[in-house]
Amino acid sequence: MEEKEIEVKELNFYYGQVHALKNINLPVYKHMVTALIGPSGCGKTTLLRCFNRMHDLYPGNRYTGEIIFKEKNILGDDIDLIDLRSRIGMVFQKPTPFPMSIFDNIAYGLKLRGIKKRSELSERVERALRHAALWDEVKDKLNESAYALSGGQQQRLVIARALAVEPEVLLFDEPTSALDPISTAKIEELAVQLKEEVTIIIVTHNMQQAARISDWTGFLMLGELIEFDRTDKIFTSPSQKLTEDYITGRFG
Amino acid sequence: MNIEKKRRIKNLAALTLSSLAALSGLFWLVFILGDVLVHGIRGLSIDLFLKDPAPPGIEGGGLRNAFVGQLLITGMATLIGVPLGVLGGTFLAEYARGRRISRLISIVSDIMVSVPSIVVGTFVYAIMVKPLGHFNGWAGAVALAIIMIPVVLRTTEDMLSMVPWTLREAAFALGAPYYKVIIQVVYRGAATGILTGILLSIARVAGETAPLLFTSFNNSFFSWNMNEPVASLTVTIFQYAMGPYDSWHAQAWAASLVITVFILFITVLGRLLLRWRFGK
Repeated sequence: MEEKEIEVKELNFYYGQVHALKNINLPVYKHMVTALIGPSGCGKTTLLRCFNRMHDLYPGNRYTGEIIFKEKNILGDDIDLIDLRSRIGMVFQKPTPFPMSIFDNIAYGLKLRGIKKRSELSERVERALRHAALWDEVKDKLNESAYALSGGQQQRLVIARALAVEPEVLLFDEPTSALDPISTAKIEELAVQLKEEVTIIIVTHNMQQAARISDWTGFLMLGELIEFDRTDKIFTSPSQKLTEDYITGRFG
Repeated sequence: MNIEKKRRIKNLAALTLSSLAALSGLFWLVFILGDVLVHGIRGLSIDLFLKDPAPPGIEGGGLRNAFVGQLLITGMATLIGVPLGVLGGTFLAEYARGRRISRLISIVSDIMVSVPSIVVGTFVYAIMVKPLGHFNGWAGAVALAIIMIPVVLRTTEDMLSMVPWTLREAAFALGAPYYKVIIQVVYRGAATGILTGILLSIARVAGETAPLLFTSFNNSFFSWNMNEPVASLTVTIFQYAMGPYDSWHAQAWAASLVITVFILFITVLGRLLLRWRFGK
């Protein structure tokens, strides 16, 4: 059996009075791509945002249960969120380059961690951009604004920015929903390559995408995890009727 | 008369009336600016900038004291007003985002923007001139700063609110604390907009007379001392225009031209910045 990177145990999440996630139990295997699928409003993005405690930004949100990462419950009060977020990076639905140069975008997370030496910054920026398969396209214009890049390039830039701090886990929140098919293909290819180094959890509303790139798939509905299994199993012979109805397009 | 003809007549009437309204507005504007230009140029000379006023009734002299005083007061007002305005706007748009107190302060600021400036002048007179027993430059700077703050505050708030929330989340997701997110990411995104707001607020106060009349008053002598009355162009214009001497009138015209051109310059600069930022 594969090694577990993260284990979600009896997780419940509340937006104020709204019970958004109900008793979720889920393993996330190391160096694998885990996809979270389900109809809109099922809680897949909510679940994803628990892994880096993004919900802490807003008042009234509450978790119960545990998410074990590195033998610690990351939902605990003693967790250093800055440290957690450098180990578990996130890429959003729309590209979010910062209003600064390409170089400074990638160096941002490194500078936050106190790395100031120009030579080290340059080296790590280059490495991150190579990992995100963007280096050849931007190496001659590192000092230009990141807004000059295309949407697909911006999304890879954001992935490079997350990779620069060498996280162990990357969270993708529908990373290709704002991109054209060619850029989407590049990001998908990238995700598959990246699992050599990082564990990936991806939320997607595109079932073909989940089938193409993930090793494990979780199907959520109305805040509950209906089924979790190997992706090929989920897409060929799911054990739950609801899962089958969803992936065959009967609803959703 | 058929319908089409009726419509044409109505159209012509509307066009004529609105054109006339626009023309009458423009007429006065051009008249005032033209008058300032014609009379002002006649009074311009190098002495105006390099010499202090001559004793009343004697030809010659300049307004060096007023130019320096004006810059001093406006500069100090900017130093006081801009940080307070920007920080206040940051509080409203970031830390108090969506809270009732934030909306309340915004509304009060909007009211403050349109409070007659003489009210601000008398207010500062009561707290900074009366207790000290004499007019002083600081009081003038504070009065102008009070007028600037709501302008800068509201522009800052609006500009920060235009920065997409996802950009902040992206910075949080990299582990940045909120103050770094604001300074390094949000301010950068809103920088040109905020700068424009600051420039426009300087332009707004540079032409104020009423708040200075009660605070920094005026000074016929050259002075850097902000604890004493400080000369300003606007109050000098007011005084000279009311005075009995032709040489005063000429200098008041010239000073009016200089300050108008200064405000025009800052306003155009602000507009250019805005277009450069948002025109793309």
